[in-house]
Amino acid sequence: MDPIHYNDMQFTVEKRGEGWDILYAKGGEAPAVAAAGLFPGAAEAEARTRALKVIRTVFPVGIRSVGPDVAHPTRVGDLRIVGPDVLHPNFIYWDKDSVTPEP
Amino acid sequence: MEIKGSVVLVTGGGNGIGEAVVKYFARRGAKVAIVDMVQKNIDRVVKDVKEMGAECIGIQANVTSEADTARFIQGTLEAFGQLNICVASAGIIRDGTMLNLDPETGQVSRKLGLDKWAAVIDTNLTGTFLTLRDAAEAMVNGGWPGLLVPISSVNKCGQVGQLNYSSAKVADALMPKIIIGEFLMRGIRNIRCVAIAPGYTATPMLTGMNQDALKAILEDVHLGRLVAPEEIASIIGTAAENEALNATTIEITGGLCYPKGIAK
Repeated sequence: MDPIHYNDMQFTVEKRGEGWDILYAKGGEAPAVAAAGLFPGAAEAEARTRALKVIRTVFPVGIRSVGPDVAHPTRVGDLRIVGPDVLHPNFIYWDKDSVTPEP
Repeated sequence: MEIKGSVVLVTGGGNGIGEAVVKYFARRGAKVAIVDMVQKNIDRVVKDVKEMGAECIGIQANVTSEADTARFIQGTLEAFGQLNICVASAGIIRDGTMLNLDPETGQVSRKLGLDKWAAVIDTNLTGTFLTLRDAAEAMVNGGWPGLLVPISSVNKCGQVGQLNYSSAKVADALMPKIIIGEFLMRGIRNIRCVAIAPGYTATPMLTGMNQDALKAILEDVHLGRLVAPEEIASIIGTAAENEALNATTIEITGGLCYPKGIAK
């Protein structure tokens, strides 16, 4: 099966016994196993399609949000609470939380 | 629930108790999803599990992020098609007493910072909540038999120097009663919840500590040694197989007594 190139990484899907292994490599390192023995009994085309779906979920492309998780707003009953609009001119960054001083 | 063929997700599965749980279930024919913060730990455990001949997937994630918990549940379902057992063993420590005094003046010289408080609460309590909540959502919607396993600690009783950790672990120990009460109220019958409260366990965190301090700890343990991670995994296996175990927290400490350091 041809390798899958995704998110600057190369994945290979290899048949092992009844199932399929997904291996990945990055930056010239030796390949690591991302998953083993998946989709037992699946044909090559089906295994490739399902592997690509798993790869997209497990190795997502994009920006990792740190702080308010606006993609998954909190729901309280009918209220939908989203993170603050950090670009609003009145938004205040509070960076004075206490930290433990070193002894 | 039969372990063979079931799908098990373990957070913190890249080392310590989590790794032992992953390997315990893999040896018995379960399919395992290994979730951890550290990719190299995931890679090592996935390789080991593959060599056992078991089905597995590794997913790097932060349990304090709702986006990540949603992602690792989704990844597990895409890989295996279902989820049966969820063990929330990801945890951290950031020890320190709430106040420190200057020995000369008797005045407060140092306070436990919000950084140490929030990091532990976020991982050990909020992370456990998010993991179990999203796992339960999948189990309910899928209609599969399920088991939720929060990991409490010896600190179900509380320990000095660990106000943050103890507060989170006491809450984790309470979860089975509340969750199963709510499931009963909502008519959810296919999922059980059993928390495990391990004592001092032979994880790298403890075995690598000052050996004199370790010896002092063991003086309070009737068993006379640290609990092995495999013994913790075994009790989780028992919880999976014995359906009468539910809505409770099981202590596995080797007989921990409380003469030193632990608030009764």
